[in-house]
This record gives sequence, C-alpha cells and structure tokens, in this order.
Amino acid sequence: MRPERTAVTRPNLTRRALGRAGLLAAAPAPLLASCGIGGGGEMVLSDEPVELRLSWWGSDLRAQQTNEAIAAFEKQYPNITVRGEYKEFGAYWDGLATTFAANDSPDVVQMDEQYFNSYSARGALVDLNEAGEFLDLSKIEPDLLFTGQVDGAQFALPIGSSVLAFAVNADMFAQYGMELPDDTTWTWDDYAAIAAELDARGGGDITGSGITGGVDVGSVRYWARQRGNELFGADGDVTLDPDLLVGLWEYYLGLIESGATDTPEQMVEDTGAGVEGGGLATGRTAFGQIHNTQISALRQGSGADMRLLQLPQHDGTPGNFIKPGMYWAVSAGSAHPAESALLVDFLVNTETAADILGTERGVPANTEILAYLAPQLDESEQIAVDYLAATVPGEPLIVVPNGASSVNPLLTRLGQEVYFGQTSPEDAAEAFITELQGEIDATK
Amino acid sequence: MTAAAELRELRSTPAKSKPENKAAFWFLLPWFLGLFAVTLGPMAASLYLSFTKYNLLQPPEFTGTANFERMLTDERLHSSLAVTFTYVLVSVPLQLGLALGLAVLLDRGIRGLGFYRSVFYLPSLLGASVAIAVLWRTVFGTEGLFNEGLALLGIEGRGWIADPETALSTLITLNVWTFGSPMVIFLAGLRQIPVMYYEAAAVDGASPLRRFTSVTLPLLTPIIFFNLVLQIIHAFQSFTQAFIVSGGTGGPTDSTLFFSLYLYQRGFGNFDMGYASALAWLLLVIIGAFTAINFWASKYWVHYGD
Amino acid sequence: MATRLRALLKHLFLIACAAVMLYPVLWMVVSSMRPNDEIFRSPGLILTDLETGNYEAGWNAFEHPFGYFMVNSAIVVLGAIIGNLVACSMAAYAFARLEFKGRRWWFAVMLLTIMLPVHVIIVPQYVLFSEFGWVNTFLPLIVPKFLATDAFFVFLMVQFIRGIPRELDEAARIDGAGHPRIYTRIVLPLMVPALATTAIFTFIWTWNDFFGQLIYLIDPDMHTVPLALRAFVDQQAGTNWGATFAMSVVSLLPVFLVFLFGQRFLLRGIATTGGK
Repeated sequence: MRPERTAVTRPNLTRRALGRAGLLAAAPAPLLASCGIGGGGEMVLSDEPVELRLSWWGSDLRAQQTNEAIAAFEKQYPNITVRGEYKEFGAYWDGLATTFAANDSPDVVQMDEQYFNSYSARGALVDLNEAGEFLDLSKIEPDLLFTGQVDGAQFALPIGSSVLAFAVNADMFAQYGMELPDDTTWTWDDYAAIAAELDARGGGDITGSGITGGVDVGSVRYWARQRGNELFGADGDVTLDPDLLVGLWEYYLGLIESGATDTPEQMVEDTGAGVEGGGLATGRTAFGQIHNTQISALRQGSGADMRLLQLPQHDGTPGNFIKPGMYWAVSAGSAHPAESALLVDFLVNTETAADILGTERGVPANTEILAYLAPQLDESEQIAVDYLAATVPGEPLIVVPNGASSVNPLLTRLGQEVYFGQTSPEDAAEAFITELQGEIDATK
Repeated sequence: MTAAAELRELRSTPAKSKPENKAAFWFLLPWFLGLFAVTLGPMAASLYLSFTKYNLLQPPEFTGTANFERMLTDERLHSSLAVTFTYVLVSVPLQLGLALGLAVLLDRGIRGLGFYRSVFYLPSLLGASVAIAVLWRTVFGTEGLFNEGLALLGIEGRGWIADPETALSTLITLNVWTFGSPMVIFLAGLRQIPVMYYEAAAVDGASPLRRFTSVTLPLLTPIIFFNLVLQIIHAFQSFTQAFIVSGGTGGPTDSTLFFSLYLYQRGFGNFDMGYASALAWLLLVIIGAFTAINFWASKYWVHYGD
Repeated sequence: MATRLRALLKHLFLIACAAVMLYPVLWMVVSSMRPNDEIFRSPGLILTDLETGNYEAGWNAFEHPFGYFMVNSAIVVLGAIIGNLVACSMAAYAFARLEFKGRRWWFAVMLLTIMLPVHVIIVPQYVLFSEFGWVNTFLPLIVPKFLATDAFFVFLMVQFIRGIPRELDEAARIDGAGHPRIYTRIVLPLMVPALATTAIFTFIWTWNDFFGQLIYLIDPDMHTVPLALRAFVDQQAGTNWGATFAMSVVSLLPVFLVFLFGQRFLLRGIATTGGK
C-alpha cells in the first residue's frame, strides 16, 4: 500500500515472500520472533512526497478540529500528506499495541501518562531531543516537559495539562443556605463537616458529597504528597507508604459510615456514568472530584453553577501536581521522524494550530500559546485556566513507570473492596503495593 | 476423546462402497485454505507465545512452563474462573429454556407471529452497542426502572449493577434478554419438522403435550444440541457485554471479571501477551472438555433424521 | 370458548414479555430525541420536549455523513454474507453427507477453531494480514468468510443437513446425480431456513462487530458503523449522548428491517416443501 514506507520498515524480504506464498502461517514462531520495533528512518527532511499517519483518541469534536489542523499543516508543507486516525480511548490502546506489535504503527501518536513509560521503556518512541532542529521544546512549561522525560531523553511532548480539583454545585449551596468554603485554607476535617452539614440540610434529597478519593490514582498521589510521600520513586519503583493509603481509606470509610457521602454503590455507578452522567451532574450530590479540564462537560451536562475548589489541606505541604493531560510522541518505527517532529511542532507551537484546536486537549502546555489563547476562552475554559493558575503544585510529578500501566484499575478494585467492606484497609494497602511492585518487577 | 460420540454418529451413516475423498476435498477446499492460511497459523503462534514472555513491543522470550505455573497461584484467575462458571451454568439453561419456550409458543397458529418474533429479537440486534451500558444503568441503577417497579410492590431496591453481590446477576439477565439468536435457530429447526409427523400424531389422537414430547422434542434434539454446545462455548468466551457494562474493569471488585475479560486485561492492559496466550489455551482446554462431555452425552438423547 | 380464552392468555403473556423486552430499546429511541442534559435524569418514556437536533448533529458529526459509514458497513456485510453462505454450506455438505478419510478428525479440528478466544489470535492474525498488505482494506474482514472460517455456521448447517431425510438424496443418486448436483438441487433448497439464519446472523454480527473492524480499518475513510458510533464516546471530555443514541437508532434500522424481511425465509423449508 505504501511502498516507500514498507521498504524502510520491513527489510526482511524473504519473510514477506513467504507470507505471500501463504507459508508464513506454518512458521509462526519466527514470524513473531522478528517482531519488535525497529528500522525507523533518519532524522532528515525529505524532498520527496511524504505520507504521515497521526493517531489520537477522542470524540467527534476533537476529530473535526484535528483534521482541520492537519489541513492547515498540509497547506504549509505541500510535500507532506497526513492521514488522521482516531478511536475511542479504550479501543485506541488495543489498536495501538497491535500495530506496534506488527511494526505497522502510526508515525505520530497521542500518548497518555499511564502508558507512556510502557512504550518508551521498550524502545518504541523517538527521543525528541534528537529532533531539536524541527521541534522547539523551549516554550513548554518545564514541570510538564519533565513528565515526558526518561533519564533526560524526551520521549513524549506534553500537549496540555490537567489538575486535580473538587467540583462543587454552587446552586446547591445557595439552596440550602450554605457558604462556599475558602479553598485556600480548608482542611480535610472542614470538608467532612461541610459534607455532613449539607447532607443534614438536604434531608435525604441530596447527599453531601460523592466519594471523592481512594479509588483513583490522583487522590492517592495527592494524599501522599501532602504528607511528603510519593506513589512512585524516580527509579520507577513503588514508594508509597502503605500506612498513608490506610489512612486515606479510613478517612473515607468514616465519611461513608457517617452517611455524609454517597454509598459505595452510588460511587460505582458514577464511575461508569462519566462526568455528565454522574451524581454531581444529575444533582444528587454537591461535591465531586474531577480534573479542571472537565468543568466544561460538567457545566454542560448539569446546567448548574459548577465551580472548582482546591482540594483540602493537611499541614500546608502542597499535594497537587500538574499532570500532563496527554502527549504527542513519535514512533521509533516511523520512516519519517523529521517530518513527524515538524508536525508535532506545528500542532503544539503555532498560533495557526492553536486557533483551530483551542483548549480541547487541555490547557496548553506551551505557555506562549496559553497567553495567546487567553482572550478567546469561554467561561468554562476560563474557570479551568484560572484554577490552574491558582494551584500551588509541589514537586514535578513522577509519571507511571513501565509495568504499572494498570495502577488505576488496581486501585479502583482494591478501593472498592475496602469500601464494600470485603477487605480491611491494611490488607488492601499491602496487596496494592505487592501487586503493583510485582507488575513492575516483571518487566525488569 | 474429543467429540467421541459425534464421531460415532458420523461413522454410523450407511457405509458406502467407496470413500468420497475426491468430492470431499473439493467441497472442503475453501475451508482447508482458511484453516491453514488464516486460522491454524495464528493459533499455533498463540500456542508458542503461551510459553514465552511477550510484551507486544519486543520479541517474545521463551520461558518454558512459567506461565502455566503462575496460573496456580494467580488469585484473580481463580476468581475469574468462578465468575465464568457461575455465569455459564446459570445463564445458558435460562437463556435456552426461554428461547425454546417462546420458539414453540410462536411456532404454529398464532396471530401476529412476525411481530412477536421481531420484537423478541430486537434486543439481540443491539448486540455490543455502546448504548447498552447506559441502557442497563437506567434499568438496574439505584434510581433505575427496576427499582421503581420494586418500589410499587413496596420492596426497597439497591444498585444492582454497582453492588458486588448482584452485579453478575444483571449480566446474566442481559444475556438471557438477548435470547434472540438461539430462538431463531430453534424456530428454523421447528420449521424443518415435517408436518406429516404432526398429522400422524393427530390421527393417533395425541394431546398437544404428547405431540410436543413425542414429535417436537425428539426431532428438535439436533438443534437443541447445537444451541447447547454453541451457547456454552459462547458463554465461556463472553466478553463484550461485561466489558461494556463494567467499562472494561470487570468490577465492582472483580465480581464481573469474566475469564476473557481478565485475559484481555493481561494481554492489552498489562502488555502481558505471553500469559494471556497461556490463559487462552487454558480456556480452550476447559471449553474442549465441556464440548467433549456434551458430545459424549448426546448419544443418549440426540436423534438424527439420517 | 376455552380455546379463545387460551389464545387470549397466550397473547397477554406474549405482550407482557414483549413489553419487558422492548422497554430498554424504546428508552433509547426516546432518549435520542431528548436534550443531552435530560437523558440521564429521565428513566421514563414520556417525552417533554422533542429534540430532533441530535439526529442532525450525529449524522454530520464526522468528516463524512453517517450514511457513508453505513455504506462501508454494507459492503463488508454483503461480502461476509456471500462468503459464509457459499463456503460454509459447501464444507457442511462434506461433513454431513460425504464419507472421507479423517472426517472425524477434521470435524474435531473445526470445532476446536470455535473455542479459542479471539483476543490472543488477533495479534498474530494482524501480523499475517499486514504482511499481505491487507491492513486498511476490507479484505481481512471478507476474505476469511469465503474460506469458511466462521466454523459456527459450518456446524449449524451440518446439524440442519443431517436433519434432512437421506432418502431424498439417495433417490437422486439412483437417478445418476453427482454430489455437485445433489448439493445444489436437493440439499441447498431444503436448507433454506439454515441459510436464512446464516445470512441474518452474519448480517447482524458483522454489522455490530467492533474488534475486528477496529484493528483493520484504520483510515476514517474506511470506518464502519460500529467504529463511528464508538468514536462519539469520550470518557475524558464528555460525550454527546443524544447524538450517540440518535445514530444508534439509525444504525439499528437496517438490521431491524433485514430481520423483519429475512424472517419470512425461516418459514419455508421442509415444513412446506416436503410436508404439504
């Protein structure tokens, strides 16, 4: 189909000839043994026509915008054609793993913090520092840029950021005659008291708060960082103190038992329902945990006056962190890494692309682009950006290491076991660390 | 051992003087091509991979029987087996019973036959639609329709999908709800029963119940057998519905973690395709054993027309 | 009078079943006509405001109108149906009626191919088709059907052929008919219900199949209905559920029509040709 690509990435002609003859099927072992990433092209621009594949996950809106940005890029570089490919998040990763396994990956791929190291550690991604000629990294927010690095190599470029937040339904506070808390000073005890008060005033019509932590990586990281601990260490091992996890779960168990929050059943239902179908959007609870960039969907889905609050304090140590919403990365199998880098540069660093893409992929990581876009933001986007500006992050985030790509589902499962009373917090915390470290060790 | 009874059945057809190897070859040619070019290769590859550590991105690394030894201590595997067996043993009889009952009810002499058939088949058309997840929540959620119905009866409901104790039963309901495929196969089978048999039975003065047990059921046994074998295989491999309803997690707390879902999580979520392949072969052995028992038992109750 | 009463009870029972079966489907249809922020708050079926905008938004959500994806799906479905009908019925005829060496063994192999979970085959198979240069074409979804890889249908047809009385083909054989003739003139016409079942199931399953199409159809120009439907969903930024439901309903229509029309063929077969 694409002879110019095939020739570079698949030098093993005898294997292809065998395949054509149908004999390949009889020799599966060598077929797979020769899989793996390799044979990418050189880091120079070509004068010949070049075809690139750009792959992302996301909704129809993102597809429209990205295709428009691609068209603008092609106009600027007439010898480059870009084929956009998009899928839904879950399906995207299955497809991506399969194409990488067959050495048939797209040139530029959208990456996620969860999977980034699983790909980079296995040599699947290009070090973007080598593409310095074509891709400018200097305008990217440094803490964010750090989250795409492994031992100094820049395997992925953060596109946008997202920050953990509490969302509150201000209408509901007004309805029950409560003041919004001061989120620069409030503590976990304050939060518990407010949730209980709301719940009492609601008289059974509402619950005070959703279960805002303990079943997702974000809340555990936040809780640990507030207490001088981290989920992962710089060497890629689990460094979380199990006692802190026990403390977090016990805190929420207390809230659940007091009745101030949703039941665990409601929590599970909300996880499945997404932002716009959850209890916060449907007006069942007043508090929920989201990422600042989800505020648009939440406001749209609920039709209520939704605001963002900083998470409660512990002893003043900052717990929050700027998380890369998503990254661009270039496949090590790409025959055209230079053009791929050029495309990434266009998408992240140019005002032309920013005009089209806006903040749909998160608050831009490029600080100049963020400033450029500021006047165009709508109300919801402005809330998200203001929240980011008000956030005091701690140390840069250490991203999910190779082997730990399933940390979130693991935490969800164990957290649910604790909340449903099937496992004690101590046993679950122990299991969490053992299982997670086991997955990491298996890749070493 | 495999399919022993079926083999006997196949052999019991009237012996021919000369084998029909040549004709058979031509009739089976497309299937042979498919088997060798498309199916057996990947199957063999997965068998090989089951003895390796393979992360999809780097070449597989031979590890002997390590994957199979790991199964012995893998607790999530054990719990997924329990979930899967429960699902198979409960949902298959329910689904087939309902499908057969309605097929018989719809078979003869009823007005609006086409309408009922289409309506009963409609849920199966939805198949793996993304809408199913949302749909199921509106029915079995805390504020769902099912609970509203219970409230009318004065019973307090719960979050059926979200409660680990009941989540699996909602998936069993979902499977039973989509009984359209076996029902259609039953209907097609009923259509094949020559009317003359019923006429003969009527002449003998047989009651409807007697006609059902002495004509319909025996002549339908090959189709019942087919549905049983296939629905068991299908239920063991069940994936999509649990995937969609639980968002791929098998939750809450692994209560809907089907074997295939766990296999999928290992393979694609954890980049652990070697172990996933070993799991696939374990499943194949389990399904193979069930199918073999089925074929063995079939000689006691399945009657062929030939 | 007793029979009238029994018929009435039968209908009442069937209608009650139908209502339970249908409710979720109707809810989806109704939701497709609701504004987005109402969908999750209304489990009932009563429509307060009619919102047809979902259909327009859904139809035009991607760079091609939704009908374009339906045409793609139709191509795949048509190829798959023809392939399955031809190849599976041939193989089934051989298994059910011909005496050949190793028949038992091959039959067991065929059953075995149904039993392996698809997820571990998909990667080696992708590598294979990628070597053929078939990725991003419809070929990996159609060609295997012409090679009878859907063993389910082979098995189905074997069971049906074995239900056809052997005297019929014995008679033809005495008249001097060869196997191709017996297959086309006697067995095929007698197994119309099985063929119709195969066609209907192939249609529905291919129309709804997600995993295979996801892996092989990369370019949005090649996307089919399940891929387009799934592309509405975005866990992070939010999904336009109204549009998703609207297009789900639209994509359900052809399958429903095919079933409504196709089920007539389930009525024929021996019951009418042999018996009356």
